[in-house]
Amino acid sequence: MILPQFKYHQPATLKDALAVAQSCDGDFDFIAGGTDVLPNYKNRLNNRNNVISLSGVHELQDVSADRIGGMATLVQLENSAVLKSALPVLPAAAHLVATPLLRESATVGGNILLDNRCWFFNQSPLWRESKGFCMKADGDVCLVVPQKEICYATYSGDLAPVFMVLDATLHLAGPESDRDLPVAGFFAHDGITRNVKLPEEILTHIAIPKSAQALRAAYRKLRIRDSMDYPVMGAAVALSFADNTIETLRIAITGMETTPLLYDEVMQPFVGEQVSMDLIETISGAVQEEVNAYRNVHFSPQYRKAMVGVYLKRILTELTTPKNSNN
Amino acid sequence: MKSSTKSSNVVGKRFPLVDALKKTTGEGVYTDDIKLPGMLVGKILRASMSHARVKKVDVSKALELPGVHAVITGDEPGAQNKFGVLPISKDEISLPKPGAPGRDGKVLYAGDCVAAIAADNEEIALQALQLIDVDYEPLEPILRVEKGIEPTDEPIQERTQDGTNIQKSVEQHHGDVDAALSSADHVATGDFEFVGVNHGFTEPIVAIAHYDADDRLTVWSAQQVPHYLHRALTEVMEMAMHRIRVIRPMVGGGFGGKSDPFPHEMIASLLSRKCRRPVKILFDREEVFLNNHGRHPTRTHLSVATDAHGKLTALDLDATIDGGAWGSFGVVTTYYNGVLSMGPYHIPNFRYAGRRVYTNKAPCGAMRGHGAVNTRYAFEVLMDQLAEEHKTNPCEFRLANLLPANTETVNGFRITSNGTKECIERARKRSDWDSKHGKLPFGEGIGIACGFYISGSAHRIHFNELPHSTVHLKIDMDGGITVHSMAAEIGQGSDTMLAQCVAEPLGIGLDRIRIFSGDSDTAPIDLGSYSSRVTFMAGNAAAEAARKIRQKLVDAAARKTGCPAQGFVLQEERVIYSPDPSVSLTFDEMLQEALAKNGALIAKGTYQSPPPIGKRDAFKGWRAGLSPTYSFQAYIAQVSVDPETFETRVKKVWAAHDCGRALNPLAVEGQIEGCVHMGLGQVLCEEMPYLKGALQGPNFLDYRTLTPMQMPEVDVIIVESHDPEGPYGAKEAGEGPLLPILPAVANAVYDAVGVRMTSLPITPDKLWKAAQRQGVAPGLGSPAEIHV
Ligand SMILES: Cc1cc2nc3c(=O)[nH]c(=O)nc-3n(C[C@H](O)[C@H](O)[C@H](O)COP(=O)(O)OP(=O)(O)OC[C@H]3O[C@@H](n4cnc5c(N)ncnc54)[C@H](O)[C@@H]3O)c2cc1C
Ligand code: SF4
Repeated sequence: MILPQFKYHQPATLKDALAVAQSCDGDFDFIAGGTDVLPNYKNRLNNRNNVISLSGVHELQDVSADRIGGMATLVQLENSAVLKSALPVLPAAAHLVATPLLRESATVGGNILLDNRCWFFNQSPLWRESKGFCMKADGDVCLVVPQKEICYATYSGDLAPVFMVLDATLHLAGPESDRDLPVAGFFAHDGITRNVKLPEEILTHIAIPKSAQALRAAYRKLRIRDSMDYPVMGAAVALSFADNTIETLRIAITGMETTPLLYDEVMQPFVGEQVSMDLIETISGAVQEEVNAYRNVHFSPQYRKAMVGVYLKRILTELTTPKNSNN
Repeated sequence: MKSSTKSSNVVGKRFPLVDALKKTTGEGVYTDDIKLPGMLVGKILRASMSHARVKKVDVSKALELPGVHAVITGDEPGAQNKFGVLPISKDEISLPKPGAPGRDGKVLYAGDCVAAIAADNEEIALQALQLIDVDYEPLEPILRVEKGIEPTDEPIQERTQDGTNIQKSVEQHHGDVDAALSSADHVATGDFEFVGVNHGFTEPIVAIAHYDADDRLTVWSAQQVPHYLHRALTEVMEMAMHRIRVIRPMVGGGFGGKSDPFPHEMIASLLSRKCRRPVKILFDREEVFLNNHGRHPTRTHLSVATDAHGKLTALDLDATIDGGAWGSFGVVTTYYNGVLSMGPYHIPNFRYAGRRVYTNKAPCGAMRGHGAVNTRYAFEVLMDQLAEEHKTNPCEFRLANLLPANTETVNGFRITSNGTKECIERARKRSDWDSKHGKLPFGEGIGIACGFYISGSAHRIHFNELPHSTVHLKIDMDGGITVHSMAAEIGQGSDTMLAQCVAEPLGIGLDRIRIFSGDSDTAPIDLGSYSSRVTFMAGNAAAEAARKIRQKLVDAAARKTGCPAQGFVLQEERVIYSPDPSVSLTFDEMLQEALAKNGALIAKGTYQSPPPIGKRDAFKGWRAGLSPTYSFQAYIAQVSVDPETFETRVKKVWAAHDCGRALNPLAVEGQIEGCVHMGLGQVLCEEMPYLKGALQGPNFLDYRTLTPMQMPEVDVIIVESHDPEGPYGAKEAGEGPLLPILPAVANAVYDAVGVRMTSLPITPDKLWKAAQRQGVAPGLGSPAEIHV
């Protein structure tokens, strides 16, 4: 497999990057580590004639406890001493992404903005030609749920649910203006548009509130092998409790639907409740009830859905066990 | 491991493979490393349809593209000549002929070859492919074997049975199975389903062809069996065999997936002849999957009967095998699915009905453990069930049913050395089986399974009287020994094996040995690396040649010292007269004496399997599975199954394998560990599901070979039964060790959670579902699910 021809731009500042993007007339992709963009390009999936690398924009690479640069690599996250003590869930979650080699180049921004996945989409041109092209690339119908309105490709990034439960905010820089969006409000229910970012906008950093550092948080992913595989279900939980009473409780799930989802409303009734095994079962069951999945990645939707409950039960048990002070 | 009693020079010692440094430092030359002056890139246009008639192929636009040197279709002379690895089922062509009737004008699966291009570089070649216009007439694709066994107006291939897509049916019956079943005390029956798996070798398929100014053709190819490629090229190119040279550079793994002559080798040759330039065709991973030749998807129905004492009385077996679009080794596969269940247990009554069905999918072929793996799984799972029904320890149950050494099976297999008993006993002891089986908490389990495999095929696929293996040796005044052989080193260590077999009788180190095992112009014929034949056959040939050299050297030592030749011992680079050890020469002194007035010493060794083996002409297919000797295994696996997620983790494997004699224990351990890794893939997570006729994930992300993180500790137990006919007592260690790991894990899963899995792989979602059906897993509600 070889890459298609494209013009490669490598601006050195954020301002230049935004300007180059503007000059490309919509026919461009930003590229960070390239671990998602390049395999897709090799498969000729929605290629553009201009590729704008952000690797020269050094101002996007910093990592601290309240601010993570869009261009920080996953290895940076994994190894960050600051994060390990302030927000250990982040290095731990980054460690579960892809493989050690990929994490060297993979970035946090690229991970959040990862393209959605589907058996009918992540395939070579020959493969797609033989099954008929689908709406997400070169065709006009969905092959998973036959209709022409919406793409059900699965969001498969590991970090977004973690940022959701930490109540993080995305900072987007645009040619005209900048804006902040809560991670929870960033994604859009369609496997093609995926989120509300404008094509020209650059994800500069993710801001994490100080309050997140007081939470206990954990992320676990369901996958076939212990390395390499995308999550076919991933569950993130952050919570705090005092006197055995729940004060804060956030749960987000990835790898199931077209977006990662934060279940804030579902959590409402449980705040103020006493922690117990019954409560944990009820919370886990309530989220499991809400989640949907489609048959377009590995494992049956029933199984993945059932595992939402099992995983949540385990994470909640771990996080509410008093002697565990790691998270 | 048990060490050999007879002292040896290099046999039985641990050696890193002789090509290991070249490989690990990157110095080794694989086919893709070869760059010839003027070499072009060849690319194949592949079909997007599963079954279609090719009406027209318009290549005119592609030919006009600058940088394109040749475009060929089925109209190219030779492109329609049939070939195939088995002389009895040649059903492959290089390219379909536009407009031709029957098989010759069709594409047979999505990914089949349609046309090919030679261009200056890959970009141009890919661009040119897009400019080829193909006019297809779609035909109904046959994607499932159930459909394939029905009569049809449009069979996929020309030679099928009774107007269906059945390529080959096999029926064998020994003894009286019906009587045995009706008088049985217990009968365990199961319907098993196996999906296809792929070899997953590291080096993609690649070949270079150069049709040169002298009208000679040289083909470099990542091949396990250069000789069969050589034969196929002769027929396709219509050239005398002596005008074709086949070279096998270093090969990055084969596992059976590089043992057929393939269309791309023919296509590269045709392209090269057309433009008189060397042409290289290198596959990407998707093409490797499309070429497949992996393990056959199979449905197996098996009944195993026992008498009141727990003795096996009958095996009644039926297998429907999905062959994909071509024959490949399929006739052999069909037989092997039945007959390779005839050991390691004594089975007095045996019935087998098997059929291989053509379907419009990528062809299946030989893969490590060829033909035996799926049936072995079914058999050993039912053995576990029977042991339970007889309330017997599964180890005891197996021990009570073993074939002895030096016996014959009802279908005529000659069993010589047999170390199964020792395999079971040692694995049982080391794993602390007796305190674990049936006694571990829910979710933890331990299981055992045995295995049995051929060590080379006694009968050749081409009926002729040539030796199976021939090895040439030369030694000159430089003191190095040159070994010429066509036994294909594909990573399994056959070069090292040859070096050891040669060095052993000469009392010298491996550093003196130079192996040339990849050039048909200089090496004598060898049938190549398949059917686990190389150590037994090429090893014997090499040892015989070395003994001839030894005789010449010892005669020289006798001449020079005046002592009788019988008394000399060769060891540690010296020759010593053992009645008086003060009489001694260095190896080089002896050599110079031998060369004087004589020149370089040469010798030849050959191997033929001993006639007659088997029940000659007693029944149809009497040759199938006959081997000069067999390998035996017993594996125990311990697993842990998560009681809620049903994820299976294999914690440890005790792998006992009887390889006759471990010529190189390090290499034997490597083979066993590799087999465990590969077999765990098939039992836990590897699968080739088809989505509307297309392989779902033709890449290494979706096709899930085990990562090192899932690899358990393997306690390798080498059992040495000292085969009377093997080279220094050795027999195979490359394929048999794969067989028992699959059922051992399944039986351990049963011990852990009480669920018997009859379909592979045992992924957590499948195990969870099966457990739910049995009421083992908690019901967790069913989601709103949208099916494809
Ligand atoms: C074999 C394999 C396994 C994988 N397994 C996993 C896994 O287990 N979990 C997982 O989450 N991912 C996985 N991935 C996907 C990928 O490696 C990671 O998600 C990675 O973090 C993506 O980051 P990147 O920098 O390489 O993204 P890129 O490929 O460079 O970019 C991804 C997308 O983000 C956009 N983008 C990137 N940065 C910015 C920015 N600052 N501003 C605006 N747009 C931007 C790009 O335009 C592109 O659309 C896997 C990939 C492979 C090849
Ligand atoms: S969900 Fe439908 S539209 Fe989206 S990628 Fe899959 S097949 Fe295409």
